[in-house]
Amino acid sequence: MNKNQETAPRVLKESKNRIRVDFERTSLKERMKAKYLNSNFYTKLLLAIFRFVLLLGISYIILFPFFSKISASFMSPVDFIQSDVKLIPKYPTLNTYKYLIIENHYFEAMLNSFILSFVCAAIQMFIAAFVGYGFAKFKFKGKNLVFLLVMLTMIVPHQILASSFVQKFIYFDFFGILEATGFYNAIGLSQGLYNTYAPLIILSLTGLAFKNGLFIFLMRQFYRGVPDELEESSAIDGYGTFKTFFHIILPISVPMLTTVFILAFAWQWTDIFYVNTFLPASENLLLTSNNFWAVMPDTLEALKDQAGANADTFEVAVKNTAGLLVVLPLMVLYIFCQRKLVQGIAQSGLAN
Amino acid sequence: MTNDIKMNTTTPASSKKKKRRGASLVEKKDRLGWIFILPFLIGFVFLYAGVVFESLSYSFAQYNTIPAIKGGGYSLTFVGFDNFAEQLMKTVDSDGKTFIEMIFTSFANQIIDVVIILMFSLFIAVLLNTKMAGRTAFRAIFFVPVVVGAGIIAKIDASASEILDAMSSLEGIDMGTSQGGEQASGLVSSMDVEMLLMSLGLGGSFTDIIVQLVERIYEIVNRSGVQMLIFLAGLQGISPSVYESCQMEGATAWETFWKITFPMISPMILVNAFYTIIDSFTAESNEVMQAIIAISPDGVPSGAQSAAAWTYFGIVIVALGLVALVCKNFVFYDRKND
Repeated sequence: MNKNQETAPRVLKESKNRIRVDFERTSLKERMKAKYLNSNFYTKLLLAIFRFVLLLGISYIILFPFFSKISASFMSPVDFIQSDVKLIPKYPTLNTYKYLIIENHYFEAMLNSFILSFVCAAIQMFIAAFVGYGFAKFKFKGKNLVFLLVMLTMIVPHQILASSFVQKFIYFDFFGILEATGFYNAIGLSQGLYNTYAPLIILSLTGLAFKNGLFIFLMRQFYRGVPDELEESSAIDGYGTFKTFFHIILPISVPMLTTVFILAFAWQWTDIFYVNTFLPASENLLLTSNNFWAVMPDTLEALKDQAGANADTFEVAVKNTAGLLVVLPLMVLYIFCQRKLVQGIAQSGLAN
Repeated sequence: MTNDIKMNTTTPASSKKKKRRGASLVEKKDRLGWIFILPFLIGFVFLYAGVVFESLSYSFAQYNTIPAIKGGGYSLTFVGFDNFAEQLMKTVDSDGKTFIEMIFTSFANQIIDVVIILMFSLFIAVLLNTKMAGRTAFRAIFFVPVVVGAGIIAKIDASASEILDAMSSLEGIDMGTSQGGEQASGLVSSMDVEMLLMSLGLGGSFTDIIVQLVERIYEIVNRSGVQMLIFLAGLQGISPSVYESCQMEGATAWETFWKITFPMISPMILVNAFYTIIDSFTAESNEVMQAIIAISPDGVPSGAQSAAAWTYFGIVIVALGLVALVCKNFVFYDRKND
């Protein structure tokens, strides 16, 4: 530093268009002292450490079950019994994976699940946007009442209504037209829409599927934050209400639509109840079907005959691995779009 | 315009308004709202209302299946309020509690749960909203329960505890694997917490709540995902300039939270309170819901089940109404768009 205590800045180096000068400044030591040796900095540091440790701890709570399940999926029956085996199996095996992939047709189930979840999520996303827009931007009589009905559909869990829903879909009809024309017989359905994807698609189309009330609510909140001027200016440009919705409103709501889509997709993917209520037949193999999680009776018999192998243990181990195999593809997708999940909802204008 | 044609088909009532001078342009546009909510209305009227009505009618009737030889199907005999009277007064556990008593005791527990979940998710949302190292990673991890969904986790956990059961049948063996939740919350032993609180001289019921909280942290984290998401959205909606001016005025973080964050986020608290109540009161893991489902586990409709379920939902709806009334006075709306 400048030892001569000159008042004017000392020129160190000078060239045609560049000059380097040395100002008189506090020594590095002093500056560091001022910055780091005070109580304010310490409280901040302590808080940051506390925060970090807390978040880390809760992250551990969230993730640990996955780790323990991953390790359990590689364990052989012997490992389950051994007391010194905690997380790393001594005799690792891929039996459960082999069984699920080959015998229970994992990839087929995954494809089916993907198609069903994708279609349902896309429909639910669109319907939620459509209905949510109606609730947000139009003032008509009875709007609040209808919105209360939306909330009501969320309060009553479908588990209670399951049998009625199933009946409804077995005898699904529009004023007897389908029955009279022999529609079901023509396309080879003996049980109406039961055991097809149709019930789930119909529920999605009418905004009655799993937690669709929440989606409608989210979209409504989003559209409430969209300034009316946007629609007014598009009306002046000669756009009708629907053209405005499809050409202007939908494109600007992409972040929120993405959030709704991710949630709808994930919830359909991991749904156990609807899949097993409406699609219990074995030809509709989905990841969450009971068929996928189960071990065939003849395999169990074969296992029982083998000495040493524990059939019950194998059955639960298969369930454990099945759960993992359901969640893993979803996690991979999630890693890619987790930013979008927060982004969409952050721009939702929910705070208004 | 194409819209005008559509409008005439949907609003037969427009002739009534002839005595004025027809609906104004704004009114005409507003009627289009019905078309937007039409998908839901159709579903509600033609599908949902029927299903709900059917379920309600079961609750006032006796359900009899007609054997397939006689043509199959079922018959309903109207029995009035018998189902309700019988089911609500039925004892459901060893203590001799009736069903209606169980509803109310479980209600009290659920309310505590709802408050805890709300506080926890707000706390975490505030943490996740501050700038720090690894924020993206933490956010990603904290929203895992939202994406994976509670149902499937519960199912895997159930299979894990089945492993435990299968193991414990082979007596006296230390478990290799164990249920995630148990082991994770085993980080902090609940005994330690209890001892600590006792030594601080805090009373029994408070200690119980805290100890329960520590034991069920896994469940609470898993149940507060969506709430965190909504709170985080609300927090991001608060303009940073408000915080800056607070800092300039010399407000502490504590003051800023109560004077700025809390009022600004209060609409979100109402939304989350609603969502949490609906979510936790109707979750399958709920004691009452389990009892209701257990009445007819194979899905055969039964009068008793419907009666129990509808009584319960009635009470839940009343509770939601009360929460709405109470919260109305505390919620601060920053009316910019209305």
